[in-house]
Amino acid sequence: MVEMTLQKGIRRKERKRNLIAYSFIAPNFIGFAVFTLIPVIYAFVLGFTKWDGNNPMEFVGFQNFTKLFQDRMFLAALKNTIIYCIGTVPLTMVASLALAVILNQKVKFRGFFRTVSFFPYVASLVAVTSVWNMLFHPTRGPVNWVLQNVFQVANPPNWFGKDLILLTMILFSVWKYTGYYMVIYLAGLQGISGELYDAGSLDGANTWQKFRYITWPQLHSTTFFVVIMLTITCFKVYDIAVMIAGGGDGRLGTSSTVLVYYICQKAFVNWDLGYASAVAMVLFALVLIVTLIQFRGERKLQE
Amino acid sequence: MKREFKFLCVLMCLVLAITAFAGCSSGKDGEGSSSKTGTGKTGTGKTEKEAETGKGENKETKTLKWSVWDQKTTPYWDQLADAYMEKNKDVKIELVDLGSQDYQTVLGTDLSGGGSDFDIVTIKDVPGYATLISKGVLEPLDDRIKEDNIDLSKFAGTTEQVTVDDKLYELPFRTDFWLLFYNKDLFDQAKVEYPGNDITLEEYDKLARSVAKDGIYGSHYHTWRSAVQLFDILDGKHSILDGKYEFTKPYYEMVWKQQEDGICRSYSDINASQLHYSAAFAEGDTATMNMGSWFIGTMTASLQSGEYDKEKCGNWGIASYPHPEGAKAGSTLGTITGLSIPTSGENQDVAWDFIRFVSGEEGAKILAESGNFPAAMNDEALDIITSVEGFPQDEASREALKTSEIYLEAPYSENVADINSILDTYHKDIMNGDISVDEGIKLMDDEVSALD
Repeated sequence: MVEMTLQKGIRRKERKRNLIAYSFIAPNFIGFAVFTLIPVIYAFVLGFTKWDGNNPMEFVGFQNFTKLFQDRMFLAALKNTIIYCIGTVPLTMVASLALAVILNQKVKFRGFFRTVSFFPYVASLVAVTSVWNMLFHPTRGPVNWVLQNVFQVANPPNWFGKDLILLTMILFSVWKYTGYYMVIYLAGLQGISGELYDAGSLDGANTWQKFRYITWPQLHSTTFFVVIMLTITCFKVYDIAVMIAGGGDGRLGTSSTVLVYYICQKAFVNWDLGYASAVAMVLFALVLIVTLIQFRGERKLQE
Repeated sequence: MKREFKFLCVLMCLVLAITAFAGCSSGKDGEGSSSKTGTGKTGTGKTEKEAETGKGENKETKTLKWSVWDQKTTPYWDQLADAYMEKNKDVKIELVDLGSQDYQTVLGTDLSGGGSDFDIVTIKDVPGYATLISKGVLEPLDDRIKEDNIDLSKFAGTTEQVTVDDKLYELPFRTDFWLLFYNKDLFDQAKVEYPGNDITLEEYDKLARSVAKDGIYGSHYHTWRSAVQLFDILDGKHSILDGKYEFTKPYYEMVWKQQEDGICRSYSDINASQLHYSAAFAEGDTATMNMGSWFIGTMTASLQSGEYDKEKCGNWGIASYPHPEGAKAGSTLGTITGLSIPTSGENQDVAWDFIRFVSGEEGAKILAESGNFPAAMNDEALDIITSVEGFPQDEASREALKTSEIYLEAPYSENVADINSILDTYHKDIMNGDISVDEGIKLMDDEVSALD
């Protein structure tokens, strides 16, 4: 009898504690549920329908998904997004790690360089892409001028043509994102205990060995975070593509179209909301798979 | 743990079920007092939509919301609203600028789902018009047209091209057609005669080449598809709805050759520097440019205000659009801008009265005064336009305004919006040099025929 009352008492306390905990989480969760979770579930349902926003919804089963894989523009968007991702993620990671390692040393004007590196990330996208487009203009830009007159390159490349446009987007993204991930790496680096390096020196390790056997392994959870964030950000690319490759009218052609742009076009220009949702679901699945693979890899490494 | 998991599962399923049912009814829920102020500036102060239900005996001010674009740079919107408000003191018209780049997309979004606040919407292009009709958000105007005895023949056949299943959903108030603008000074320098009002496309090509030289471009094609692809619908035998686009090949090749020979700026150049066609012509190094009649208004206003340098482009003229061999002189491309009433509009009768005003003689006069072409063109309007300060005074330029046939860039069809998207995409690819003209045409053929 006494035991039961005791247990009830404990459970009541627990319940009260849970209630307080949930009420702290509630505001954020409600916002998340209303603006993110429910729309995502709704989009999932929409993927199986045909709807234009006004007329009644029609349930069409898997028709949208089968149409997808024969859609030339979708496949182009998929290909471009994947290439963009494969280009941007490793390059940004390497660049930001390198910058972080260098700027973690006692270099002169270190604070200034760190600020300068971080600046592209905070600068307004529209402003920097305008300048970037001017710099890389195929006939009138300084970059090609220098290539032609200083390095004597006969035919300077057309940075906005179909062959190089993705490269231009990748270069721009690397430049823009490096600063942010450098800061993350800096934090990671500063978490590495100096004793490890002392021990390394005692064992006669040179700089490269120190990096390979001390720095790199210690940073591996930071790297994991950086790679995941980069992957997700790259799959969602839209503003960079439109600003760099969009030309005057903000339209993307086959060589520069990306998944999110395609979804936007299908949804709000062609009003094919069901089909657009199907594409969105494919994008979701893609990012999910890539992230799960990375998580799995991380778990393996930890063991 | 198990219990919570089960609970979560049930919750998710419920949400799924509810959302699946939510889309079934397309009924409009009364938005009540949703004070949407739109994405832009309003023409006259704050939003004050007075309740129509029971405000007593006094005349209530009816507020009409009107969707427009480029309100700041295009004077006639405010002029039309002000003129109407002068005549009708109990009506207040509020303009909402949705921007010109994505106007139809923003408008389509606003009219989706439940109600919208607009009483009058401007229709910028036919694909947008087709989309709104298929969404079922525009009111058919035929009964009102019949009631008020509006004579549609004054619109020169354009209303027929946008009638859907015998119903007309917009009343045009502005017609624009394409002309050839040319820089007289550059022609004088090259000692070449000005283009007349009956030139074929071959003659036009030769003309551009004869004036071009180092630093001077013979022609300029803006990045729009209409500037390059649509020369060939002028014989009346083709249109963008054909499904087979072989007819566009000779003109793609003409423009490509001109690009290669340096007669005109290259498409990728223009794109990369986001050059606006007005800047290209105003620079004074472009001898001819094919562009729409709205540019006349821009030229006269900008030269007058001093924004454009008179030395560089002040001596300009217009000529009739070049046409394919065999087509009538004066055949040209055209677009109409019209006004519609959204089905969710609350003041439909007043809105109709305003639409009649704008499309009628009074509206025509106001449009002509700012150098624009009213849809119901008459001699009075023509005189006004040609007497605007800065309009070229030579006889040939005046004659150029008399068109023989206007072919809509995008005639109505249920799929015109999709066709437009497809053609735009491959046009960009062709002009960028990403694919060859033949490949592009084949893709256009394939994808357009794949639409129902």
